[in-house]
Amino acid sequence: MTVGTRTGVRAGLIGGVVLVYLAMVGMIAAFDDLNLIGEQVTLGLVLLAAPPFGAALLAVRPRVVGGRVERPEPRAALVTGMLAGGLSGAVLGAWALVVDAIGIERVRQVFVAVSPKLMDIITFGRGLPVGAVILLVGGVVLGAVGGVWRTIRYDLRRPLSVGAGVVLLMGLLQRIVPTILDELSIERDWLYSKVTLGLTWLGAIVVFVVAAGVTAFVMDRRERAGAAAPGAGTVEGRRAFRGVLLLAVAFGLIVLPQLAGTIVSEILGSVGVYVLLALGLNIVTGYAGMLHLGFGAFFLIGAYSTALLTGANLVTAFGLVAPQFSANLDFYVALPLVIALGAGVGALLAAPVLRLRGDYLAIVTLAFGQIAVILVTSNWLQPITGGPQGLRDVTDAELLGVSFRTPQSFYYLVVAFCVIAVYVSWRLASSRTGRAWNAMREDEQVADAMGVNTPRYKLLGFAIGGAIGAVGGALFAVKVGTVQPGSFEILVSITTLAIVILGGLGSVPGVVVGALVLIGLPGLLSQFEEYRLLIYGAVLVAIMILRPQGLIPNVRRSRELQEEERTQDAWQQIFGEPESEQEPAAEDAR
Amino acid sequence: MRKRNRLALFALLGALTLVAAACADEDEGGAETGATGGTGTTGAAVDCEADPFGCVEVGAGEPITVGTLLAISGDVAFLGLDSQYGVELAVDYLDGAFDGTPGQIAGHDVSLVNEDDGCSAEGGQAGATKLAANTQMVAVIGTSCSSAALGVADKILADQGIMLISPSNTNPNLTAEGVTTGFYARTAHNDKIQGAIVADFAYDELGATSAATINDESPYADALAAVFRSVFESKGGTITTFEAIQSSDTDFKPLLTSIAEQSPDVLYFPDFNPACALITSQAADIPGLADTALIGSDGCADPSFTETAGAAADGAYISQPDTSAFTQGDFYQNDFLPAYEELVGDTPTAAFHAHSFDAMNILADAIEAVAVQNDDGSLTIPRTALKDAVLATSGYEGITGTITCDALGDCATLVTIGVYQVPDVPFDDPQAKPVFSETKSLADVAA
Amino acid sequence: MSATGSRAVGGGALGRLERLPLRRIVLTALSIGVLVAVVYGSYRTLTLPAGQRYSASAWRDFIVLGIAQGAVYALIALGYTLVYGILRMINFAHGEVFMAGAFSSYFFADAWKDSGFMDDRTWLSLVLLVLIAMGVSVLVAVLLERIAYRPLRGAPRLVPLITAIGASLFLQNTFRGLFGSQTKGYPKPTALEGTWTILGIPIQKVQVIVLVVATVSMIALTLFVARTKTGKSMRAAAEDQEIASLMGIDVDRVIVTTFIIGGMLAGIAGVLFALTFGNISYFMGFAPGITAFTAAVLGGIGSISGAAIGGLTIGLLQSVGPALLLTGANVPSPFQLKDVVTFAILILVLVFRPGGILGTGEAEKV
Repeated sequence: MTVGTRTGVRAGLIGGVVLVYLAMVGMIAAFDDLNLIGEQVTLGLVLLAAPPFGAALLAVRPRVVGGRVERPEPRAALVTGMLAGGLSGAVLGAWALVVDAIGIERVRQVFVAVSPKLMDIITFGRGLPVGAVILLVGGVVLGAVGGVWRTIRYDLRRPLSVGAGVVLLMGLLQRIVPTILDELSIERDWLYSKVTLGLTWLGAIVVFVVAAGVTAFVMDRRERAGAAAPGAGTVEGRRAFRGVLLLAVAFGLIVLPQLAGTIVSEILGSVGVYVLLALGLNIVTGYAGMLHLGFGAFFLIGAYSTALLTGANLVTAFGLVAPQFSANLDFYVALPLVIALGAGVGALLAAPVLRLRGDYLAIVTLAFGQIAVILVTSNWLQPITGGPQGLRDVTDAELLGVSFRTPQSFYYLVVAFCVIAVYVSWRLASSRTGRAWNAMREDEQVADAMGVNTPRYKLLGFAIGGAIGAVGGALFAVKVGTVQPGSFEILVSITTLAIVILGGLGSVPGVVVGALVLIGLPGLLSQFEEYRLLIYGAVLVAIMILRPQGLIPNVRRSRELQEEERTQDAWQQIFGEPESEQEPAAEDAR
Repeated sequence: MRKRNRLALFALLGALTLVAAACADEDEGGAETGATGGTGTTGAAVDCEADPFGCVEVGAGEPITVGTLLAISGDVAFLGLDSQYGVELAVDYLDGAFDGTPGQIAGHDVSLVNEDDGCSAEGGQAGATKLAANTQMVAVIGTSCSSAALGVADKILADQGIMLISPSNTNPNLTAEGVTTGFYARTAHNDKIQGAIVADFAYDELGATSAATINDESPYADALAAVFRSVFESKGGTITTFEAIQSSDTDFKPLLTSIAEQSPDVLYFPDFNPACALITSQAADIPGLADTALIGSDGCADPSFTETAGAAADGAYISQPDTSAFTQGDFYQNDFLPAYEELVGDTPTAAFHAHSFDAMNILADAIEAVAVQNDDGSLTIPRTALKDAVLATSGYEGITGTITCDALGDCATLVTIGVYQVPDVPFDDPQAKPVFSETKSLADVAA
Repeated sequence: MSATGSRAVGGGALGRLERLPLRRIVLTALSIGVLVAVVYGSYRTLTLPAGQRYSASAWRDFIVLGIAQGAVYALIALGYTLVYGILRMINFAHGEVFMAGAFSSYFFADAWKDSGFMDDRTWLSLVLLVLIAMGVSVLVAVLLERIAYRPLRGAPRLVPLITAIGASLFLQNTFRGLFGSQTKGYPKPTALEGTWTILGIPIQKVQVIVLVVATVSMIALTLFVARTKTGKSMRAAAEDQEIASLMGIDVDRVIVTTFIIGGMLAGIAGVLFALTFGNISYFMGFAPGITAFTAAVLGGIGSISGAAIGGLTIGLLQSVGPALLLTGANVPSPFQLKDVVTFAILILVLVFRPGGILGTGEAEKV
């Protein structure tokens, strides 16, 4: 029991610190405006509830001790969980009492996020000390649930967690789903409230039940299928399933903008541009293994060259002026030039630094990215690039009479290019070049010794990645119609990197998912905008420590990145909990 | 066996709730039926078919939807929020009193939809798209930053016939012939005026014959510095250097040393804080600049300037709309400012709350003028007519002065820019008086 | 470039193109280009007509500014170089360690300036400020090591680097969320306003303090590393971690000590920087961080004296560079491009002499 107490206390303190952090940084107050279910369950409330629950989970997780795995007894787990959760809540409550004692206004002069609104939220409107007690009790309850969570049977637990997750997701998607339902003329006021903008209680319950039910159903079927015919019939079934899935996705992609309205199409357009960028970076960093911290430079090159080649004008204080060098080509004629430029610059950048080790290479790319932005903003190059005011009247990429600047039509344009880029990536991965990159990534010296022309393949990686990145920039220029240096700051490079990392290095579906999460969500939820970089940073660190292979791993890469984890996975397997990681590994036996 | 039971239970529950939901009574009001307009008590039938952008139909009892597209997050939030409060106060004042209860336009409540312009082109695009997608959107007050409007927000909204009125865009191109969208107006001054007035101050008032400029990477600063240089030179002055910085730079000493070499009489830096403040405080350490007058513009005009620059700020000049022209006005002092502090809990953080107040009021007046009351209590607002009415505003007595809009969208056609000297500055002391004030009209500077 | 490779591509003319050493061509072109640019620019600047030329006092000011700046960069660079020596990783978040120290000392500095304590007991208050900054910086550095870096000791090199970037973002924005995004003015004690005249040159009082403190710190550090047991352990671990641990050195502890020392120096640098430029903000660590890293690499990463020399050089180049190289070449607004100068130097150093000034001159292979 002493072990249990110790872990409980430790987890509880961590949970408490996380709670205080979230409060002081302002996230709880900011996210409280987002109603998830009715008026009671807001995202702020979820943030308040998560750490105690998580602390309890942390405290009672199975441990490898002396070669054996130890899991706490249910009763001990309950107590430890309650301890952990309660302690988390208590820490926040204590903090609130301290702040109150010092005086909110005084604290607020230093810590700007500590506002009366925040105190109101964390004390549930009851003020102190009642609020502190509520926090303690609430923490205990959540901790109790967290403590015994793992003791619930798996086939009951899974549906519950999936159900809760889907409800959360539906709540977060409150901008899209109602609009889609409206377009389809389906009644939706029972599901999403027009007043709170979030789910109604009825809707939430229905979603939960349906999601949980479906999960239970699917699990049941899988178990029966697995028990009855191990292996047989499943391969074809899987192939058919994949085919249907692909068709459904394609259909959904084509139909989505019509259903989802302009707002969502516009956001998806941004997502698409970043998917292109991330695919380019995926080739450089994911396939060829060279960390590139200045990828925004290709974005910039693509956008500016497109603008200049298609007859955009400089914006000055005295009206529009033609740039010193420009051409008035059609977008589709200019595009190959833009691609060539991107590839050329990529290769030129790579050539001098081919022999550098990884971190130096990364810094050089960062430097190059910064130089590009500064040059484009400078007064020196102003006659060409327009300085701070940039260029406008970029072409709208008209083709056969269709202008692509409206959100829906741009969406189709960008999806088309994404499909091409995905195809290119896919073919590259299984080509000779791809295999050379694999070899280089795993051990460059050995690859050299085996005859792989590493400099050449490095160059190729930079060139191809740069070309795709430039296409992303070109499309961005078309989308926005004006090109201003403020759009090309280092944020672009960081965001692109975060997308690739989150999705999974070297994984194309991962890139798409990563872009949807990191670009789509902030687009839909304005509360995230303030904390965007904070979340990016936390995501990068968390992913690298917990799951370096990303959300949708590329199997080969995950083996490289996870040598240590595999040992632990082996331990997990003893307990028969089918972890999600094992599925793709089994499937992808190519 | 137990699993199957549980499964069945789930499925049953699910089915039941679905059935319940489908059968549930849903009657949502708000029928927007057709856009054929109607005959009203205020005049002849409005033909919405003929209006290329159609009409907005506001049902009986429904609110009029007005959007705001301002920089409400990030490092420039002080600018956007300040303007947003001005709009909210205007809505409050529709009933003639700052009483916390919003008023009405043409008998309908006003519903404000607030979006963020991100002070960038893509932010402006995202926010404008969200607003433009709302078919009930009558007009938008915004943007805060010119970069969000230029070619992005102004175009997206104009494509839907939604009027955009800006309280703080000052970039000349937004209302330039051939460039403006037509569905754009602004109550803020055109920087062609501010740049000219500062040049007048430098040349005529200070007697300067040489000047250096420093702009940052924002379109605002770039344009303003360019206008200043052009006017200063045309008056006979010489520009010794024009320099540029990154707004995130902190070390300006080498730059200032280099500028000091040429001993300009005036150093003009129409940038934002903290660059303004840092230039000012670091210039104090450069002996060569001891005789150089330091001038910033409204980008510098917020409390952090004096806080960050400290004692070195004394004696520096800042140009911004001359609030003493209206600051001394009773209404602004006795009614508006107290109501602002009541709403926000603090004194204004930027200079454009009065402009957004005026913008909202101009809009309200225009709506009242063109909206058609239908017999069933609904309201029909034709979009093009609304745009025309806004641009036809003439002689409106706003806080910022008498407002008469021209056909290109500049409503602040007669602008009074004041040059203040620290410590007598409006963002620290709302009663401050400028040391130099000049009124110019757009016609004066149209060159 | 194996024969099989070129034949597979298509042989013949294409094969010969393959064998052209692209890298060598680009490098040669690059070096010629840089040389020409430097010589041309300098020549033009120095031969500008009298009215446009920089005066001697301007050059003197540039140089003094550069040295003072360089001293601060050197202090930060030491943090990079020490960590790199042992862990062979770039602690991307070191700029944020620096920022954290400066930021936390701000609150006290502001309060003490208002209450008059700063002007009454200037030296005491400065020492306290430095101690506070050091404390917070050390705390952040140690937390970084424990939470973000230690779990990833054995991972492929890409992983800790990305983690460092993420940590840097996280720290920056944490400070932004906690304390607001406004830049804050850092007060200067009245005793430190103005200049002292040393050897006939008027130097800002603050700059003198910066130079003195930085020099003392670096000497202290060198002595520490050379003479004390911990210092020797650090050097041993930097040479070879495995053997050091076999010799009985607690490598974990040495690593933590390294981060602590780096943090202390960064804290000192933070206060000096804030006093020099009079402001702090949540993003103040980014640019100096990269510049300091450039300095560390320029001087020879892994070497303490390298960091010092690199810092001074970078400081001078940033200050003198644009003036010298670009003004004459008729580049408008040359000071806008000072970061371009810095980054260009970084690229050139890494390309031609990755070992740095004090390094061996060989390209360090992967």
